Amino acid sequence: MRKIDRLGWAAGLSGMAFGLRIGIRVNKPEVLDSLESCLPPTWEPTSAPIVERLYSVVAGGNAARPNVRFYHLLYGGSARLARTLVLEDVFAALESDLQLYVAEYARRRVFVHAGVVGWKGRAIILPGRTFSGKSTLVAALLRAGATYYSDEYAVFDAQGRVHPYARPLSLRTQGSVRPLRRRAEALGGRTGRRPLPVGLIALTGFRPHGRWRPRTLTPGRAVLELLTHTVSVRRQPDVAMTRLQRVAEQTRTVKGIRGEADEMAAALLERAEEK
Amino acid sequence: MFPVRREEELVVRHLPDETLIYDLKRNKAHCLNSAAGLVWRHCDGQTSLSQLAKMLREELDIPAGEQVARLALDRLQKAKLLQPVAVAAEGPRYSRREMAKLGGAAVAASLVTTILARPAYAQASCVAQPTCIGQGCACNPGDHCCPGFQCTGVGNFKTCR
Repeated sequence: MRKIDRLGWAAGLSGMAFGLRIGIRVNKPEVLDSLESCLPPTWEPTSAPIVERLYSVVAGGNAARPNVRFYHLLYGGSARLARTLVLEDVFAALESDLQLYVAEYARRRVFVHAGVVGWKGRAIILPGRTFSGKSTLVAALLRAGATYYSDEYAVFDAQGRVHPYARPLSLRTQGSVRPLRRRAEALGGRTGRRPLPVGLIALTGFRPHGRWRPRTLTPGRAVLELLTHTVSVRRQPDVAMTRLQRVAEQTRTVKGIRGEADEMAAALLERAEEK
Repeated sequence: MFPVRREEELVVRHLPDETLIYDLKRNKAHCLNSAAGLVWRHCDGQTSLSQLAKMLREELDIPAGEQVARLALDRLQKAKLLQPVAVAAEGPRYSRREMAKLGGAAVAASLVTTILARPAYAQASCVAQPTCIGQGCACNPGDHCCPGFQCTGVGNFKTCR
């Protein structure tokens, strides 16, 4: 860490997110402006000199000599997280690690990898791994009139309610490597502000021409499925189990294969209204 | 045979019809259905197989009580939820088809369901790249992770990081 400290830092910022103090320092002040999109929702700038997690961004680029380029580097604490010639890759790596850190260590919240929308005062939770089509399904639900809460994490409090984690949706399109970032409003949706009780948990996997014929899971099996996607399950299994048990006992969990997102969205909203 | 349940390094939560157990040592979560939960709760070193079978018959109305109790002990043993000294239940083993004939198939089918809890890094969003496997993306040993990353992890949960 001392070696990194000696690299020479020109600017930095610090803030709080979900009870965690985080700092980021850069070797070129102009890089700081680009970092805003990497910060997690609920980020509040602070002037605290002491942080729990410190990121260091070294912007490389062209050297004074021709044909020489320096790598862009990202450190999380003393560990190197990225070394690349493309600065955007450093930002993507920073965002990914920052989100994961917040999700694992957040105080008073349990983070489940899931898409979330609000529908008639209740939340629909769509747990799933990365590349499982969560954002696509969330976008389809927004087009159908649902309120946006998250395409990345369902954030549960002690009462089992879901809080918004409303970063711009990350939509992957064919032929494009980097995901497109879209705000919910650009897709015709609204962003939710207040926490919601859970109305439905739907575990889905996409299959071309798949037909949505879900089966209902028992509360115990539902907790097991949610634990599969819980970031802090290994660190705080007792907290995660208590929260998710409360959620699963109060709501219905269904599981099945789905086809296209738009058809699925209509079916989900219909099921969410069932008592 | 008087089986004894394991109690150390477990987080246990009781639901109305199920029991959830998190094994801190192995990072596995188990869901026991009502029959397996009842058997596990009564594995106190003083309750015999025939007593467990009787409880299943009387409390849960399972006619094939002895067969289900035997199968439940087997499943609990495999899930490492019993003390190692509790040897596997003696007597014949039953397939699911045989259990169906005895009327206990539905109960026996989901006695113990287990998942391996993923480490936090396995939940990271994948940073997709055109020519290599990016940070946080799933990989297999030998795959080409992007410069600066290695394909590492535990069991099936390997990612480029």
